[in-house]
Amino acid sequence: MALTWRAVLLAALGIPVVLLVPLTGTVIVWAAFVAVACTVDAMLAASPRQVAVARDVPTSVRVDEPASCTVTLTNVGRRRLRARVRDAWPPSAGVLAAAGVTPGADGTPRTHPDRHDVDIAPGDARRVRTALRPVRRGDVHADRVTIRAFGPLGLAGRQASVTVPARLRVLPPFRSRRHLPSRLARLRELDGRAAVQVRGAGTEFDSLREYVIGDDVRSIDWRASARRADVVVRTWRPERDRRVMIVLDTGRTSAVRVLDEPRLDAGIEAALLLAALAQHAGDRVELLAYDRRVRARVAGASGPRLMPELADQLAVVRPELVETDWPGVVAQVRARMSQRALVVLVTALEPAVVEHGMLDAVPGLAERHQVVVASVTDPEVAALARGRADATEVFDAAAAERGALERAAVAVRLRQRRVEVVEGLPDELAPRLADTYLALKAAGRL
Amino acid sequence: MTTTTPAPAPPTGVVGDGTTARSRASRRWRRARFPLAIGAVLVVIGLLAALPEPRTSSTPLAPDNPAPVGSRALAQILGDHGVRVEYTQRFADVLDADRPGLTVAVLGDTMLLDDQVEALRDMDADLVLVDAPWAASVVAGVEAGYSDAGDDERSPSCDDPDALAAGTIVTSGTLSAGAASSGVTLCFPASGDPAGTGAYAVTEVDGRRVAVLAGAELLTNRSLATAGNAALALRVLGRGEDLVWYIPSWQDPWNGSTSDDDAPTSTMPPWTGPLMLMLGLVALVAAVWRGRRFGPLVVERLPVVVRSGETTRGRGRLYRRGRAHGHAAAALRAAAASRCATRLGLPRSAGAAELVDAIAHAVGRDPRQVADLLYGPPPHDDPGLARLAAYLDDLESEVHRS
Repeated sequence: MALTWRAVLLAALGIPVVLLVPLTGTVIVWAAFVAVACTVDAMLAASPRQVAVARDVPTSVRVDEPASCTVTLTNVGRRRLRARVRDAWPPSAGVLAAAGVTPGADGTPRTHPDRHDVDIAPGDARRVRTALRPVRRGDVHADRVTIRAFGPLGLAGRQASVTVPARLRVLPPFRSRRHLPSRLARLRELDGRAAVQVRGAGTEFDSLREYVIGDDVRSIDWRASARRADVVVRTWRPERDRRVMIVLDTGRTSAVRVLDEPRLDAGIEAALLLAALAQHAGDRVELLAYDRRVRARVAGASGPRLMPELADQLAVVRPELVETDWPGVVAQVRARMSQRALVVLVTALEPAVVEHGMLDAVPGLAERHQVVVASVTDPEVAALARGRADATEVFDAAAAERGALERAAVAVRLRQRRVEVVEGLPDELAPRLADTYLALKAAGRL
Repeated sequence: MTTTTPAPAPPTGVVGDGTTARSRASRRWRRARFPLAIGAVLVVIGLLAALPEPRTSSTPLAPDNPAPVGSRALAQILGDHGVRVEYTQRFADVLDADRPGLTVAVLGDTMLLDDQVEALRDMDADLVLVDAPWAASVVAGVEAGYSDAGDDERSPSCDDPDALAAGTIVTSGTLSAGAASSGVTLCFPASGDPAGTGAYAVTEVDGRRVAVLAGAELLTNRSLATAGNAALALRVLGRGEDLVWYIPSWQDPWNGSTSDDDAPTSTMPPWTGPLMLMLGLVALVAAVWRGRRFGPLVVERLPVVVRSGETTRGRGRLYRRGRAHGHAAAALRAAAASRCATRLGLPRSAGAAELVDAIAHAVGRDPRQVADLLYGPPPHDDPGLARLAAYLDDLESEVHRS
């Protein structure tokens, strides 16, 4: 049972009565009257358990994009249902944000956009809509639907919470897609350009065209030139159907918050941009999210199915507080990649972690594949390194400098083992990784 | 012939929460019983703790004073015999309660004012004047006399039934009938005192009974059990059903207020109590209105929060706690040297001397000074480290400008 403000008003109407008849008995009689009125009203209310509730949500939505949840209520009882319905979602579903409600000073919102008033005749149905704007990647599971049915006087009501399962998959925002057009333009420039550096048999012959100043003289096709009056060069186009394996490290270092977002999310952005670019370039992209076991895997998806599949799989990847098993990563890559491939390890260059796992495992991989280590750096550490205000800050600065030196040393050791290292702040990593991919492609090193 | 109507399409969705009235009731009971049990235990403990520990005072002869000079024993025995004892130190209360048939005991009169003694004389109630020679003389014409006799055992020597019932008492003091009075019965004379004296006098004044006791000791807890003291005290004080036990107090002015007047409720209008109750009812209803939650709280699994820079700060703290100025300075120097080398285009393999020369050449400083800055002795205190950091910053900015 639940009361409404009308019940409070009814109780307050006893104040003039008690002023007229100032007796303790008056209060007792009035209290009994209020109790009886509320009880009778609640008993006359329609049963909140005689309502068929169905929820309808879109399967997926990107972070920060609007969605709506539709709740269909069918009155299967014999009484008219006057009720208030709460369509409960976890805070990260962004019910408040979607309605533009900001919580007050004490953290409680002034209005509740997830509550709806309905008035349904027996046998009828009504739809109510709750606007959502999810703020965090992952699966959002709807909570219960609570129905508070009021009696004819609106003094009191009966309440029931019905479990109506619904799941909204919140896809990664893919904010780095704004970098995609410029990288695609660069990719088209690569296409059909005279290969300046021809290395081995890795590049594919494309066509012949007239020589223009600046072309590598080594690419002149003398035989073809002899047949024509002009000097003709061979052009090469970047290799197609190369394989790209993106490995996302979901171990404990990916849980670190960088600029109010887990490091993993920056890695996901980078992985998505690289995958989109590689897919346009005609390469086959696979993805693996791994710490001590496989958290997500995308393999065999190509063409338009790739990006939705990636987003769907990456939506539910979470940082785990375990140490990443690098030999396991290598074994996974070996099992999937029989021929040479571009292996991108999206992780963090923490010197301690690298020395104790990655540095032993990864060079073996680099012998066979082109390995790129992409690492999200931390702007806070850079800020710490500049602190000079007092002794504490100088010590912190020294610690930050020492960390940076160690990271640089590790990067050097990785490069010595023919591993490319890409570092960047969370919003820089994705374009840098894409540029590295383009550079490798232009150099024919895939 | 029967007609069939097409059944309406069954509504889709979840109906009800899978509970029945019985299951809900049992669940509520299971959930509430433990808090209810705790609440009940607390209430019982509170009641036991608050169970009236009788209020006591240290005023001599007060009916709530358990000390030897108090009179709680007497007051309790009177109460056990059905006498309602009302204890007051306000004369206004006495006047307020005044009516025929009431017994007013006045214990001591040194705090009484003239007007109060006059008022005592004009009252309708029976009076028992204890250790109150002035009041006794004004009201009953019984004078206090001087006697050498101390506390001794005295026999009634009169025909007053109360005195006879008491037998012997132990008390002090002497009373005698004044010149203007008549019909005064005097009992318990001290041995050796002349006839017509006694420690206890009783008389009728204006149709009411006035008893006078010379000494107050026989009412005290200490002496109540002695000889016939208790019998006399009980019979004298317990004649009526109501007894006002009045001990004059210097805090009580003439025409002062009664206890009722001074009670916190005395200035409030009569509807205050019910109104408070009604406001309480409104508050209760409002609490239920606001307190009923609209469905259960929604729980959500939050991602772990590992603050960035945590390891760096931890390492900085370790340096500081270990006072590792040398280590910290080495890190700062190595970082500065590495950046300068990059800026000046030196290879990674370049040695210290090479780097110092290059820097000194670039910024136009003495190579020894640069070498001292980059590879000199480590600082040993906080100011030294801060200075080194500042010098390194200067050097770096000069290299970058060059």
